[in-house]
Amino acid sequence: MLRIINNFNFLRISATEAISYSTSSNTLPYNPALLPVKKSHRKPRWVPIAKSKIFRIPKRPVIPEDETREIRRLFNDYRNHEKSVKNFLVEKHNTKNQASLDPEEILKSFKQDLAVCHEINNKWNKENKILREKRLAEELERDIAFAKNRIEQEIIKEQELFEFTEELVRKEKEASVNFITKENIDDAIDKALAEAVDYNFAIDLNGEKIIGRNTKPVQEQDKISLKQ
Amino acid sequence: MPYKYIGRTHDFKGKTLWELLGNLKNFGVGRIVARNRMERYPEPSYFKILKVETLPQPENESIDNLRKIRLLVEKTFRGKTYPEPRPLESASYKTDYKLIPKDEEADYCKAYKPQNTERILPRTMEFPPLLKELVARELKNTPSTKDDLELKIFYNRQSVKMKYRIAEEGEEPTEKFTMGLGKPVAPRLYKGINL
Repeated sequence: MLRIINNFNFLRISATEAISYSTSSNTLPYNPALLPVKKSHRKPRWVPIAKSKIFRIPKRPVIPEDETREIRRLFNDYRNHEKSVKNFLVEKHNTKNQASLDPEEILKSFKQDLAVCHEINNKWNKENKILREKRLAEELERDIAFAKNRIEQEIIKEQELFEFTEELVRKEKEASVNFITKENIDDAIDKALAEAVDYNFAIDLNGEKIIGRNTKPVQEQDKISLKQ
Repeated sequence: MPYKYIGRTHDFKGKTLWELLGNLKNFGVGRIVARNRMERYPEPSYFKILKVETLPQPENESIDNLRKIRLLVEKTFRGKTYPEPRPLESASYKTDYKLIPKDEEADYCKAYKPQNTERILPRTMEFPPLLKELVARELKNTPSTKDDLELKIFYNRQSVKMKYRIAEEGEEPTEKFTMGLGKPVAPRLYKGINL
């Protein structure tokens, strides 16, 4: 798996290559800070020890005694310096250490600070007011235009609906000429009785229709006899 | 055929406590054992055996718990003997103990006399360059003493109690700290470099 991942490493594009692909004419000079971050070549935690390294025994470092003492001294010095500086800054800036100051002075400095803050805030408010009014005016204009457009659309829609219903009514009126009413019901009954229609039919083996409920098919034997 | 060991080496040198005491009369009560690890200190460190108990067979046997025993010892660490007897069980399996022969006991346990060199460390040191400049600029208009331009050193409280002393007002310290590299312990490491 590792080997597969490593084989794909060459696909990563370096910064210089990326610049050469870009269309802009002013190319950046080579800058190592722009290069892609190199991943470590360590194996992941869950991959076991390589078979070739199972019996490898790392050599234990042998540091001479004076060197050990020198390293310890340098580190002690560094740690002491760092802690001292940290302690100095904490003592200087800690609010607990400043509580002993004159309260009137603190109030005065606070008021001064507040005045400066107010001034900055008022300036920002003025700048924002202009921007806000402009934006609100634009928004109102846009909303009015939108509403007008909506009203027009609604009117058109209503008109179309009216026309559609009118058409429906007209068609129904045209169709109602042939309706059976109280006046002509007797004629209609007479007419229906006079022109009785039989919709029944049967189908024989050849697929021929034999129309009528009581019609009988032509017998085969009769056909033969007719031929003879 | 000689044994061939494979694996990482360790710093232990010796036998487990049971290997030493199991063969002795009365399980070696009254005898003195020492750990090899403690021989790196100049002061003597050793145990005097007061009582030995074996332990029942553990439920989950492993190399670490199979060879353990429970002891009560009089512990001496770096020349200082503890007032109370100390139990010793968890480290009893380590193959790092050696038995001191009876005729060498007195010599081994000889009290160590450290050289009387008291370390007196300074109260203050100079500021780092940038911070020094900032502090100096801040104190430019206000009345200040020379001490204001010195950084108070923050020492480890435990070490102050045990290892050294901080110089009092006006006292001359035995060591001096500077912002630079300082005085090297091993000058051979800086050969050819102008410090």
